[in-house]
Amino acid sequence: MQSKMKESYPILEVDNLFASTDNLPILKGVSLTVYPGEIHAIMGRNGCGKSTLSKIIAGHPSYNITNGEIKFSGENINSLEPEERAQSGIFLGFQYPIEIPGVSNLEFLRVSTNARRKFLNKEELDTFDFEELVKEKLELVKMDQAFLSRSVNQGFSGGEKKRNEILQMALLEPKIAILDETDSGLDIDALRIVASGIKKISNAQTGIILITHYQRLLDEIEPNYVHVMADGQIIKTGGSDLAVELEKKGYEWTDNFLQQT
Amino acid sequence: MGVSFVKVYKDNCNRLFLDNMVKENLVKDVVKEPYKYGFITDIETEKIAKGLNEDIIRLISQKKEEPKYLLDFRLKAFKKWQKMEEPDWAGLGYKKIDYQDIIYYSAPKQKEKISSLDEVDPKLLETFDKLGIPLTEQKKLTNVAVDAVFDSVSIATTFREELAGHGVIFCSISEAVKTHSDLIEKYLGTVVPASDNYFAALNSAVFSDGSFVYIPKGVKCPMDLSSYFRINSGDSGQFERTLIIAEESSSVSYLEGCTAPMFDTNTLHAAVVELIALDDASIKYSTVQNWYAGDEEGVGGIFNFVTKRGKCLGKRSKISWSQVETGSAITWKYPSCLLLGEESVGEFYSVALTNNLQQADTGTKMIHIGPKTKSTIVSKGISAGNSINSYRGLVKMGTKATGSRNYSQCDSMLIGDQASANTFPYIKSQQPNSDIEHEASTCRISEDQLFYLQSRGIEFEEAISMMVSGFCRDVFNQLPMEFAAEADKLLSLKLEGSVG
Amino acid sequence: MEIIEKIKNNKLIDNPTEIQKICLHKLQSSPLPNPKSELWRLSNKSKFSNVLDYSVNQKGPKFDMPYPKNSQSTIRLTIGEECHIKLIKENYSIQQLSEDELDKYINKQISCFDQNENWSDLLNLSLSCAKNILGLKINGSKIPPIEIFSHASSNSLNAKTLVIFLEKNCNIELLQVNLGKDKSSLSQSTFLSLKENSSVNHGVVSYGEEGSNLLNSINVIQQKNSEYNLGSLHFKFNYARFEIRIKQSVGNAKTNIKGMQITKKDEQISTYTKIDFNGPNGFLDQINKSLADDKSHAIFAGSIIVPKIAQKTDASQLSRNLLLSNLAQIDTKPQLEIIADDVKCKHGATISQLNEEELFYMRTRGITLAEASKLQLSSYFKEIISFIPVSKDRWDLLDKLLNEN
Repeated sequence: MQSKMKESYPILEVDNLFASTDNLPILKGVSLTVYPGEIHAIMGRNGCGKSTLSKIIAGHPSYNITNGEIKFSGENINSLEPEERAQSGIFLGFQYPIEIPGVSNLEFLRVSTNARRKFLNKEELDTFDFEELVKEKLELVKMDQAFLSRSVNQGFSGGEKKRNEILQMALLEPKIAILDETDSGLDIDALRIVASGIKKISNAQTGIILITHYQRLLDEIEPNYVHVMADGQIIKTGGSDLAVELEKKGYEWTDNFLQQT
Repeated sequence: MGVSFVKVYKDNCNRLFLDNMVKENLVKDVVKEPYKYGFITDIETEKIAKGLNEDIIRLISQKKEEPKYLLDFRLKAFKKWQKMEEPDWAGLGYKKIDYQDIIYYSAPKQKEKISSLDEVDPKLLETFDKLGIPLTEQKKLTNVAVDAVFDSVSIATTFREELAGHGVIFCSISEAVKTHSDLIEKYLGTVVPASDNYFAALNSAVFSDGSFVYIPKGVKCPMDLSSYFRINSGDSGQFERTLIIAEESSSVSYLEGCTAPMFDTNTLHAAVVELIALDDASIKYSTVQNWYAGDEEGVGGIFNFVTKRGKCLGKRSKISWSQVETGSAITWKYPSCLLLGEESVGEFYSVALTNNLQQADTGTKMIHIGPKTKSTIVSKGISAGNSINSYRGLVKMGTKATGSRNYSQCDSMLIGDQASANTFPYIKSQQPNSDIEHEASTCRISEDQLFYLQSRGIEFEEAISMMVSGFCRDVFNQLPMEFAAEADKLLSLKLEGSVG
Repeated sequence: MEIIEKIKNNKLIDNPTEIQKICLHKLQSSPLPNPKSELWRLSNKSKFSNVLDYSVNQKGPKFDMPYPKNSQSTIRLTIGEECHIKLIKENYSIQQLSEDELDKYINKQISCFDQNENWSDLLNLSLSCAKNILGLKINGSKIPPIEIFSHASSNSLNAKTLVIFLEKNCNIELLQVNLGKDKSSLSQSTFLSLKENSSVNHGVVSYGEEGSNLLNSINVIQQKNSEYNLGSLHFKFNYARFEIRIKQSVGNAKTNIKGMQITKKDEQISTYTKIDFNGPNGFLDQINKSLADDKSHAIFAGSIIVPKIAQKTDASQLSRNLLLSNLAQIDTKPQLEIIADDVKCKHGATISQLNEEELFYMRTRGITLAEASKLQLSSYFKEIISFIPVSKDRWDLLDKLLNEN
């Protein structure tokens, strides 16, 4: 299976990436390559840099890349604006989706979907057509239409916010989706809904990076690769069994690993 | 004292409320709490003639054997003061002060040169003993160094040698003028210029004594430093001046306490405090102010017009003010921070309690000048009786204060329907990349809360005092240990029974 | 005082009425606005003085309505134009106040004026001739929406006054539109008296052109169980001062205020509000938003006064401000003065820029920075504008205006 994938071009290449915020180094040489159809999991303790990595790939303005590069579909995207990255097919599912009071969810979804469609040279959708599309996608995450008329994420429960993220992913049809702790704060039913949504959206052309603490999301979506991060670096890469091992041993060994090196 | 149970009624909406008569009685009870520091020390004092003119200033300067630059500083300030007008923007109501009817220098008569504490007049030592600030070698507080100021002069400073061992200078400002003249000349008046305001100008002209602290580079001061101010004479004003300099990477915690006897006349206290923090230095300045507040009718009490300001000159420097203001007939006080150094931090934590006819107008100014500066303001005002308690503050973001933040929270608690609580924040920003957030609320102790506590077997007054101290918790947490306990006690004493 | 000189020299007030004389006299006898009161108002002196640089215009020239009347039933009046109105319908009546009633009422108002605070009203009443004073008495139910226009004409100082008596149990929707003209000043004073159980949904939309000045003052007296809702929007003025004074004369009344001011270029717009609770059980929910861009200056000063008599008052005041440029300036002073103990009062103020995390979130969904900012701004406006009683088509007008530049 692996060799077959390698015939295609990678979607995302992160090459020896160093990054900092407020002069504080966070990433200290991260390399990662994702091919179409692959599912990668990144695990690690809080503060190991995994969320930062996702934000940097999405272009968060608070972080500076001090060395290395990020390539998307073979192009260096280090200096692209966040919206340009999103339009070209990078999707970041937020750990804590932002509440935007006053901006209607429907309007927000429509503007962003059209921005992506425009990039893909697809026809932009008017309100009516868009509502049809949304209704269809709402099914995937079992969300009620009532969510559309509310402000973006405002007053949503933890589970509703995460489902709203997956809804956006379904609408934007990204080439790569980075899901930052999408499983956190979800009960088991909500986790299943989210996981099945992710599975339905992804296909042989999509790459997925799951950032997580726990094994339980990986029980639902089996990754091809598991990376363990500590202190701004990927310290170990393996198959899905690595996640199981990590769950057993805990993260303490990553500390030991760092001390040794 | 007081009532240990309260009648609780339910109205037809099932709300609980207290019997009004009970409330009124309780309020009356509180007010009767006597001021326990109101005694007078009978001691021979040297006083100069009443009144203020150039000759008086020359006389003060001469008595203190000051260098010429200091006399010039005083005279210049005096000239400015003469041209200034007493400020009225706080809308405080008080009888006009006759500045010619005040004695500007008063000192207990002592032997010329005192070589050890044992030579200090026992009456003075006894006075400070009674105030809970023993100074003698045998009894002195073990973890705090104390500078005791009696009327216009510093009586004694404890732990001087120990501190000197760390390079820390802690002495009266008069002494520092003689021994560290270079530092005084360099820093005096650089944070609060003589022309800053009416009372600062007056102080600059006539200041008599106060404390001086210098923490050298890299030194964490090994113990808390403390000044205790005692006004004893009824007809002399107190004009002390404090200067604290924290060199690079040093830190100090400084405490200040104040009491005065009960006189039926008003005594003027116009102090100036200047703090300077260089790179990575931190100064924590805590005050428990319990000047005599006057009686129930508002007769007597201290007029407390104080200018306190800190300059965060260095990068990452920090100045933190915490204050518990319970005394004085009138308090006019705005401990402020000038945040110049990049990433410097200013803090202001205040509890102000007013009762009877007290008026407190207090708050802070946080002037953000440098980039990435941060400030926090937490102010808790409790007004009882017929008092007026106002928060007045300014937060300003200058054009270069990019990435700066301020958070302010000002809460008032009203006790009884004759007291007033005002909040006057002024917020000014010229820097889009900065955030200012101000919140204020007014509340009273709710019957529901009271009832809940009482239904768990807690006595009424205990419940009140729990809630008041809960209300002030955020501020008390900022006080040094010894002070926090004292402040808590002071508040419950002042409030005993006052709530209904 | 320079401004007083300007008033004295303004020869155009011929044949002043008694009221004009009284007000002029008051203005001249005490040096107003005094420098102290202007100091706390933070007025830009030269801009403020510019208000009186024009000579008084007592005529009301025709002007083009900014938007067509959307419904036949809407009552539309323009202050200064011949607008005799006497509508006596089955359910309601709208009548002009008689000269006597008007004089009596205005005189009573003047006697309660605080010289310092009501300076704008004194100026207004000393300049406003009978023709430019519109007084209405409204009674009944199912009253159609009312629109009242007030406008300046170029190169002149225009004073317009509106007085409305709202009788018991009467509910109205009132939209006031104040239009500034190129190089002009408009002084608009409004007096509303709300009797028991009455309610007003009041919209105030003021916008000008290059070099327009505005002094807009609203005085409201609320009787018990009345409800006053005000939604306001001020933008495009060289200098504008919006003053709101509300008195809940016996308490037990509700007031909701949502105001918005937008400043660009080197404009200065300020809002001053004073809410006086003169009885128990009063309610206030107030939010004032401002947005300052370019080199402009936005000011808000609000005061809430709760005397001893006003037990169980529930008042909240919020000042939210967006500062969008390095050269712009925002000042805000929300103030609480409370003597009663059983009250719930709070206020808050924030000054910030557009929320960066929100912007980033939208950008990760492919929305451009410019669009994301616009979405944020329109949500910032929306809370206020949706409170202004205006119909859909006028909404479009506002949308268009807000999106200019």
